[in-house]
Amino acid sequence: MADLKPILLVEDSPKDVELTLAALEQCQLANAVIVVRDGAEALDYLFARGAYENRSTGDPAVVLLDLKLPKVDGLQVLEQIKADAHLKGTPVVMLTSSREERDLVRSYSLGVNAFVVKPVGFEQFFEAIRDLGMFWAVLNEPPPRGSAPRP
Amino acid sequence: MTEAPAAITDLDLAACEREPIHVPGSIQPHGALFVIDGAGVVRKAAIGALAEGLVEGDPIGRDLADLLPEEARKTIAALDSRLVAGRGPEHLCFLRTAAGAFHFVAHRSGNDIIVELERALGDEPGSFDEVYPDVRAFLDAVQRTEGVQALAELAAREVRRITGLDRALIYRFDAEWNGAVIAEDNGGRLPVYLDLRWPASDIPAQARELYRINRLRLIADADYEPAPIGPDGGDVDLTYSVLRSVSPVHLEYMRNMETMASMSISLLSGDRLWGLISCHHLDPVRVPYHVRAACEFIGQVVSMQIAAHEASALAMRRDALRGVHIRLLAHMAAEDHFIDGLLSHPNDLMALTGADGAAVVAGGRCTRLGETPAETDILALVEWLSGQDREDVFVTDSLAAEWTGGERMKDLGSGVIAMSISQVHDSYLIWFRPELVRTVSWGGDPAKRAELGPDGLRLHPRKSFEIWQETVQLHARPWQEAELDASAELRVAIVDIVLRRAEEMAALSERLAAINKELEAFSYSVSHDLRAPFRHIVGYAQLLKKFEGERLSERGDRYIETIIESAISAGRLVDDLLSYSQMGRSTITPVSIDVGAMIREAQTNLTVEGERHRIEWHVGDLMAVRADPVMVRLVVQNLLENALKFSREREPAVIEVGAEVKEGDVITWVRDNGAGFDMAYVDKLFGVFQRLHREEEFEGTGIGLANVKRIVERHGGRVWAEGEPDRGATFFFALPAA
Repeated sequence: MADLKPILLVEDSPKDVELTLAALEQCQLANAVIVVRDGAEALDYLFARGAYENRSTGDPAVVLLDLKLPKVDGLQVLEQIKADAHLKGTPVVMLTSSREERDLVRSYSLGVNAFVVKPVGFEQFFEAIRDLGMFWAVLNEPPPRGSAPRP
Repeated sequence: MTEAPAAITDLDLAACEREPIHVPGSIQPHGALFVIDGAGVVRKAAIGALAEGLVEGDPIGRDLADLLPEEARKTIAALDSRLVAGRGPEHLCFLRTAAGAFHFVAHRSGNDIIVELERALGDEPGSFDEVYPDVRAFLDAVQRTEGVQALAELAAREVRRITGLDRALIYRFDAEWNGAVIAEDNGGRLPVYLDLRWPASDIPAQARELYRINRLRLIADADYEPAPIGPDGGDVDLTYSVLRSVSPVHLEYMRNMETMASMSISLLSGDRLWGLISCHHLDPVRVPYHVRAACEFIGQVVSMQIAAHEASALAMRRDALRGVHIRLLAHMAAEDHFIDGLLSHPNDLMALTGADGAAVVAGGRCTRLGETPAETDILALVEWLSGQDREDVFVTDSLAAEWTGGERMKDLGSGVIAMSISQVHDSYLIWFRPELVRTVSWGGDPAKRAELGPDGLRLHPRKSFEIWQETVQLHARPWQEAELDASAELRVAIVDIVLRRAEEMAALSERLAAINKELEAFSYSVSHDLRAPFRHIVGYAQLLKKFEGERLSERGDRYIETIIESAISAGRLVDDLLSYSQMGRSTITPVSIDVGAMIREAQTNLTVEGERHRIEWHVGDLMAVRADPVMVRLVVQNLLENALKFSREREPAVIEVGAEVKEGDVITWVRDNGAGFDMAYVDKLFGVFQRLHREEEFEGTGIGLANVKRIVERHGGRVWAEGEPDRGATFFFALPAA
């Protein structure tokens, strides 16, 4: 497999970043993990602008997106990803602390690929991250460039 | 004489009411009438028999001043500037001519001036001084009379004394314009009519209107020959004329009544024609002008007194009812539901309208107070009322006349005031008055108002004035204006109360919505901000254990385990709290649910966890319910988990599930043979954070059963439990059957 695509983790809580990285580490994925700390930074990365103007080409294999973010929140980031002809094929997993129904409904209506409520227990959290990482970063076959995303 | 077919009679009466009696085209013969323009030129004229020789030749087209003696010249010259439109005739001068003496009377009618010369009697001109002592005596007596009846008797006596006519009647109209003689002074030459009645059709509407405008009328001789107005008098408005000729039908009426002369003075209360002072004489007679003026003055005094009496009687009644109204308001304000305030004070409620009974009908329930018709009759009345397209208040003196069902309840409910007190529901407040059977004496059969003559073409008025007695049935004592006003006021107050309540409710629900929103925001932030630290505690503790576990003592290891367990249970508590708060606001989508399938599903999940010990399941026939499937799954899971948790000390644990149908609800129950509970604490069972066991005995956040209760109650169902310490427990929930 040539050039493994990176995993983009969008998370404002340093503790959640550390725990997520620990969990991803456990999966022994070879993908690089890029961490950005708010929605604006995430968009800068995704659209290769600002501080990320000269980032290496290649879009993330998956975006792990926290719902509640400073500046631009997760739903807005999701909206922009799915509205972009080039990016809309990139899978987005929404991570959230709450079970709020309306967030779920809104996320799905914006075209989220998965919605995960972060479990309190670390083992469950590990499992969830591992499963997600495995599925989206390794197993999932992204659509060919320019074609429509899978339903 | 043939009987007149009813259809023809009605038709002819209608024609009679259309007769344009203000433009008769002729005058009575005791004078002359000239219609002149502003310049004094005669346009039209009528010369009566008693004015013959007043003018020579044809007066049309000539100056009126040239026709009359010199002494009239000044009066005629001043006419145009002196007369004001819309006013009655003015007596301008007394004129002696070769043809006799005349009263010069004039008024303006449109662009024309109508001059009437009424032939004076031998002893005229009389002066007001002659009648002044009588008028003053009358005024003094008026001061001493109390009430309309005494006033009427006084007026009849004085008018007959001043005029010397044979009979003076005080005739009073009722609300339907029927009239009754309420006072009479009689010289004995004519029959007594006191207490007799005549139907409204005896004085048609346009005749009443003339009485209202022109307050005094004299018909000197019922056999007179009218003098036509030439050259064409058909359009001359004689509303204010003193010589106006009357309808031949009326003259025939007088002859049938055997009075050859009549004089009437209108009595008004405010602007409304209240009645007449009606004088009759056996022979033709003319009443001198100044005497008539005095009578008109008396009529005005009586009118003012009547208006004052009626106003003060109304004010007194209103005042009394106002007191009752205020008491009722206080009663209503004192009760949670205003209707109870009315029901608990039946005497005030009935006094408000002077009713003998009252009923409040609301929500199909009927509460009766005092003397009222049977409940079934009242409900039938309400049903009829709500089917009608009516005003908010229905009033009648005779329910039977309005509604066929009314006759059945006549004894207690002939008179009815029914008012709707809610637009949405058929809620009514109703007052009742019983039937009051009365005997009424008519001056002739009121049904035979008029008859066709032998010629079969012309209408002839009433022939018989013989007393004709009628028993009035199916009528109650009429409701007075003040009573109707009071009932309407009460309705306004009630509607106000209802509206205010509705507004309060709206404000309250607005506040509730705001509070709910706040709560929602709160639980949202709780779920985020509280759950995250717990997750971090667990995560870091587990990382610590993973990477540094080997270096920890056994005690340190136990501490870390406790930290992890506590944080996990705190996280679960937050989750449970959140789902409890969501339960209240998420929408319910009821569908038919197979409870049996749901139980089997939950069973499978539980058995995996409960592998450690043996469970004996007894699941009976379960029935489908109508509810939200997501929510009912939570109920089922909670109850089964509960049963399992409290019976895990048993070997085997026995869990029974069953159902039965009762009054359209399906009651499903879950029974276990576990720890049970003391029925003394049954009320605490379903409360949030209520536990009946020590924490270390049975785990759980204490929200599960509260959730069950909340879900079931949101579906309009109920939950309850039975138990005994150490002998197991049974939990029931009732939901609508599918």
